[in-house]
Amino acid sequence: MSATATNTPRLERAYARLGVLLIAPTILVFSLVIVYPLLAAIYLSVFSIYTPTLQGNFVGADNYVKLLTGHEFWNSLGVTLVWTFGTLTLQIVFGVGMALLLHQNIWFRSLARSLVLFPYFLSTVVAVLVWRWLFNDLYGAMNHGLMQLGILDMPLDWLGSMPNAMIGVILVGAWKYFPFVVIAVLARLQTIPEHLYEAARIDGAGPVARFWDVTMPQLRNVLTVIILLRAIWDFKEFDLIYLLTGGGPVTSTQTLSLLVYQEAFGLNRMGQAAAYSVGMMLVMLVFMVLYIRRTGKES
Amino acid sequence: MADVTLRNVRKQFGTFVALEKLDIDIRSGEFVALLGPSGCGKSTTLRMLAGLEFPTSGEISIGGRVVNDVAPGKRDIAMVFQSYALYPHMTVGENIEYPLKKRGVKATERKAAVLRAAEMLQLEPLLDRKPKQLSGGQQQRVALGRALVRDPQVFLLDEPLSNLDAKLRSYMRAELIELHRRLGKTMVYVTHDQLEAMTMASRIAVMFDGRLQQFDTPAAVYNRPANRFVASFIGTPSMNQLEGAVDGSTFRVAGHAIPIDRSRFVHALGSGTFVLGVRPEFVTIGGGDLPARIRLVENTGHEQIVTLELTDGTRLLARTDAARRLDVGQSVQIGFHPDALHLFAPEETGRRLNKDDAASVIPMRSR
Repeated sequence: MSATATNTPRLERAYARLGVLLIAPTILVFSLVIVYPLLAAIYLSVFSIYTPTLQGNFVGADNYVKLLTGHEFWNSLGVTLVWTFGTLTLQIVFGVGMALLLHQNIWFRSLARSLVLFPYFLSTVVAVLVWRWLFNDLYGAMNHGLMQLGILDMPLDWLGSMPNAMIGVILVGAWKYFPFVVIAVLARLQTIPEHLYEAARIDGAGPVARFWDVTMPQLRNVLTVIILLRAIWDFKEFDLIYLLTGGGPVTSTQTLSLLVYQEAFGLNRMGQAAAYSVGMMLVMLVFMVLYIRRTGKES
Repeated sequence: MADVTLRNVRKQFGTFVALEKLDIDIRSGEFVALLGPSGCGKSTTLRMLAGLEFPTSGEISIGGRVVNDVAPGKRDIAMVFQSYALYPHMTVGENIEYPLKKRGVKATERKAAVLRAAEMLQLEPLLDRKPKQLSGGQQQRVALGRALVRDPQVFLLDEPLSNLDAKLRSYMRAELIELHRRLGKTMVYVTHDQLEAMTMASRIAVMFDGRLQQFDTPAAVYNRPANRFVASFIGTPSMNQLEGAVDGSTFRVAGHAIPIDRSRFVHALGSGTFVLGVRPEFVTIGGGDLPARIRLVENTGHEQIVTLELTDGTRLLARTDAARRLDVGQSVQIGFHPDALHLFAPEETGRRLNKDDAASVIPMRSR
């Protein structure tokens, strides 16, 4: 008994040392690429800095006062929330619908399952170029098609006027990212035991009742995680919106990411940009806390 | 009134024939076991009764009504699954209530019915729990509760006890027999466990290779197996089957002649190869004139299963008292109880050739 009491801890200490050694590289890289930029942003946000030279003066909380009192941040926050809510809703609706369709035993299932991933794998630049061509007010296929069908009388300025620009951005975002929802939901659908559906059929449940009473409860956990993850990713989306509208017309599709970029590299005010990004981070913290609590609960 | 009838039912999956020419008549209130090895078609049969599979041809009727085109929910049946298939997000009470809800039963009536079912199965303290908080036996009872709450005409049970441990299984077996007696409903029970079939069923449908081999009472299936397959499938250890030739009033095996009573078998018995069947309890060690050697003795406490080897290497089993002293390697003379001999045609499902009379049933302790 005393032998084990003295021996085991020594072995355990050796294991612990090995463990520290093995995670050290990860910690190091993590510190360099995540912790340092985070601290640097907070540091920069209390200076007034000219971006090309990175020179400037300490201004204390001035940048934050401007954030709170000016309308730019709040306008962009509003735009970001509209964009996130709009595109996320469409992603979930189409994603779940498509996953249900692809879960059925249809003859083109395996082909369709690969094809549905196409938008997700396509480079954003390429996808946006195609969509801008489709949306073009002079020669775009979208206007042409809608006019042929008699839905439109006149060509529409899709990306240059509101609310069309926001609708366009939301649609392209939904198109680009719904495959993620499809994959995650489809993976979960395949694990729902067939017996539950059979039991429900014997219990007298029709197709609609089976969806709400068997499928949906089983999807609830995975949908919560998907919604939180996609909300975080959509909230900070940059390239798709920047390439599609550049934040315009004027600032009506300028999300927080675009605002930060505009401030830092358009107006060369790195300090103010850092303050905006810190503000944006605080908003995202809400989603992140929810996500961590959710996934923590599951494990 | 809920007879269940399968008339000339055939089921094919692609090119694979799962069931062939199946005719079963189940009387109202009967407890019928569908018994057979895996892949014999017993689960397919049950699933067709439930409406989860559709027969390729033939007719299925429940309570006098042809149900081939009736949806599972409208057949007035309930089914208990091997995996229990409880809805994981609903409480025990909600699980039991669900079939009533889907049938538009009023809330007050639903509540009363759930309580009645829960009381019958001693589930009252568990009504607010979720299925994953229950043990296997409790989940099993909830599945039964969900089946009996709406008072269906026919209960379909798909290996409901196979996920339970041995002790709980024998307990639930007794519970199910009791439940059947109390409800008096038709029950169709799929199992690969002959013990369950023998102890619970009023009649057993033995199936093999997509065909019904025999449909009779447990005693008849044991004592008068219709063919070689049934003879070997029912009984543990299974019936000894010795290949040999009929020669006058003897059966020749391993160079020895075993006397048989020709009058007990069908007249047309010609010469040629046959299979002689005898259950291990009717093999007597030290009482006959067939020389054999003891190869293995398995003592289970209340009996011994003895593996014997004839001079030509044929092996057979005998069942004896646990108290008897037998040594491996010992040479013995063995004999067969003359009234307990079965004769079969030689193919795998070779027909039994005895004339079926009551005399072929011998009380086990008359050896």
